[in-house]
Amino acid sequence: MLTQQPIDSDNTVHSNNEDVVISVENVAKKFCRDLKHSLFYGVQDIVTELTGGQRNGTVLRSKEFWALKDVSFELRRGEALGLVGSNGAGKSTLLRIISGLIHPDVGTVKVRGRVAPLIALGAGFNPILTGRENIYANMSVLGLSTREIDERFKDVVDFAEIWDALEAPVQTYSSGMAARLGFACAVYIEPDILLIDEVLAVGDVKFKMKCHRRLAQLREQGTAFILVSHNSHSVLNVCNTSIYLKKGQLIAGGATEAVVRQYEEDLCLSGSEAAKGELILPEKPRSQSAGLDIRSLYFKDEQGNRLETLICGEPANLHVECKAYQDISDANLGIIIKAFSGENDQVLYLTSASDGEYLNITPGTVTIQMQLPYCGLIPGVYSARVYVRSGVKSFDIVESFRFTVKAGQAMSRCQFYQPRTWKVTATEC
Amino acid sequence: MNHSRSLKQKPLVIYTPENRLRRPIALLQQMWRDLLASRELAWQLMRRDIKAQYRQSFLGIAWAFLPPIALAVGFTLAGEANVFNVGKTDIPYTAYVMFSTSLWQTFVEALNGPVQAVTVAKPMLTRVNFPREAIVLSKLGEVFFNFAIKLILIVALFLWFQVPVGWTVLLAPVALVHLILLGTLFGILLAPLGALYQDVSKGLTMVTSLWLFLTPVVYPVPSEGTFGMLVKFNPVTPLLVTTRELATTGVLSEVTGFWIASVFTLLGLLLTWISFRLAMPFVIERISS
Repeated sequence: MLTQQPIDSDNTVHSNNEDVVISVENVAKKFCRDLKHSLFYGVQDIVTELTGGQRNGTVLRSKEFWALKDVSFELRRGEALGLVGSNGAGKSTLLRIISGLIHPDVGTVKVRGRVAPLIALGAGFNPILTGRENIYANMSVLGLSTREIDERFKDVVDFAEIWDALEAPVQTYSSGMAARLGFACAVYIEPDILLIDEVLAVGDVKFKMKCHRRLAQLREQGTAFILVSHNSHSVLNVCNTSIYLKKGQLIAGGATEAVVRQYEEDLCLSGSEAAKGELILPEKPRSQSAGLDIRSLYFKDEQGNRLETLICGEPANLHVECKAYQDISDANLGIIIKAFSGENDQVLYLTSASDGEYLNITPGTVTIQMQLPYCGLIPGVYSARVYVRSGVKSFDIVESFRFTVKAGQAMSRCQFYQPRTWKVTATEC
Repeated sequence: MNHSRSLKQKPLVIYTPENRLRRPIALLQQMWRDLLASRELAWQLMRRDIKAQYRQSFLGIAWAFLPPIALAVGFTLAGEANVFNVGKTDIPYTAYVMFSTSLWQTFVEALNGPVQAVTVAKPMLTRVNFPREAIVLSKLGEVFFNFAIKLILIVALFLWFQVPVGWTVLLAPVALVHLILLGTLFGILLAPLGALYQDVSKGLTMVTSLWLFLTPVVYPVPSEGTFGMLVKFNPVTPLLVTTRELATTGVLSEVTGFWIASVFTLLGLLLTWISFRLAMPFVIERISS
């Protein structure tokens, strides 16, 4: 389980201690973005170390900042820990410390067992050499003996699906093939701890599925995971517990749902405006209008009450209030919805034209409605791009209308809301 | 339960900011463990590097022969034209230059090896925690491999010039190993710094060309003057000269110097190894993207 506080009582340390594979206690690390200073500090640290002195880890030197500060957690075998946080939050630094590449400035890290860093896909690959030769070089860098590589060689080749290209130089491989080979090498060293840093984005869908299956298999065998991702879906799917790093500080730790929700809320707050579910646009002068202006966007429920947030699975109507200066017989309302968190994936692209609905608009103020019997979006913050067109003529466009979808019921681990009913019937045989 | 027991047997690694010099026993144990652990990796890396090197080269192993031949031709012509006055050498001058140059070249390779290895392996070093000794060992292996190829040239040379060879030739490899280790010592000492600052590899090129003139490679050991003193205090001199003498005449002129340089090399190597280990995490911290 996860401990946010530094481990202070002996009881917590010794209960089930043997299952702990990673224990991070009060770890802090300084960084310096100025290259000249950074290199000089490096030399300074080396001299201090060589002369037997003790570095003063707790004090920042000029131009330094805390890349990590007071981070503590534990990871047991078979557990998967999600590591979320925006760029520069210290996620990679933490992984580097755990894999022993760099030493903490403050605190202690204890690691038991073989660590395979998936930050290192294809480390030691030489493009001139063949796939076969590179498998040997790469896997021995990751800590396997030649005999162990011999045993796993066939599995690696099968997993990477490079049978034909085995004797070809790696520089002739497609990027997908090289990535597959790197991944295969890393997962077949059968590590006790696997550090995964945003690498599951490589390869095609089929290979991704294969990767996930292999990771699940490793986890059953007791491999512990740390998964770093911007994409909250993959963290939600894989990890039971997560920690949230922000500017080097451990902000939250615990059940993944709660941690991810907090992370996503923070992400949205850090945006320019909160998602209020309503957008009122300033009136344009007649001369700048193309014939129709979008005046405001908001949601209402079926009874006509304003909705500040949508509720997953509940009905909602999007109202697009327009001021029209002319008759338009074949207006087309388009709505492109992107998930604001995660990887800004486009989740919906709806147009009235593609539904065969051509909207008839008369001059004056009109409201175009898109009626949703169910809100199928999962909880989160979204950004909609809304336009009104007629054929290829564009009347008006709203680049970003932000709104929030809240959970109505348990929705974790679903990609969308599925309306459904349940019943039991007796089957006559 | 079987699993948890097997997990318990796995070594527990602890990373702290504490200075590792304050636990010297643990440090030495770890160094020994890593040295053993890095043998296979070093072998794999060496094979990888040698294969890649020759696969991307048209002339291939000829590169082991060409520099000593070029230098020998140049100096022989210059010597015959009396451009400068070389003293008397034990063996024919052309053979002398070629053999000495091969030895010198091997020393320089050993010197540059660790610096190059760390620079080239940067992407690997910043991503995977493997025993860092492996890249140095693999370079060392490469130096021996290259020397083995040069040996073909040397044997041909000795046959051609009918250089007398005594039984002491059997001891020559010992002196040669000391010579290579001396180069490795300086190399390991500079490698961490070389990964941080490019000045090191640039400076190294300059220093080695100067160093060549302070080493009796194209001339016999001088006995007088400031120059003679400089050459005498050059630690490469006794090792290189002894290797050469063991392989040829068997009459040793630098015995004391050889032992001093050897002890210096072996002790220094242990110390630089420790410093290399201590310094590398700090280097990696600064070069990681």
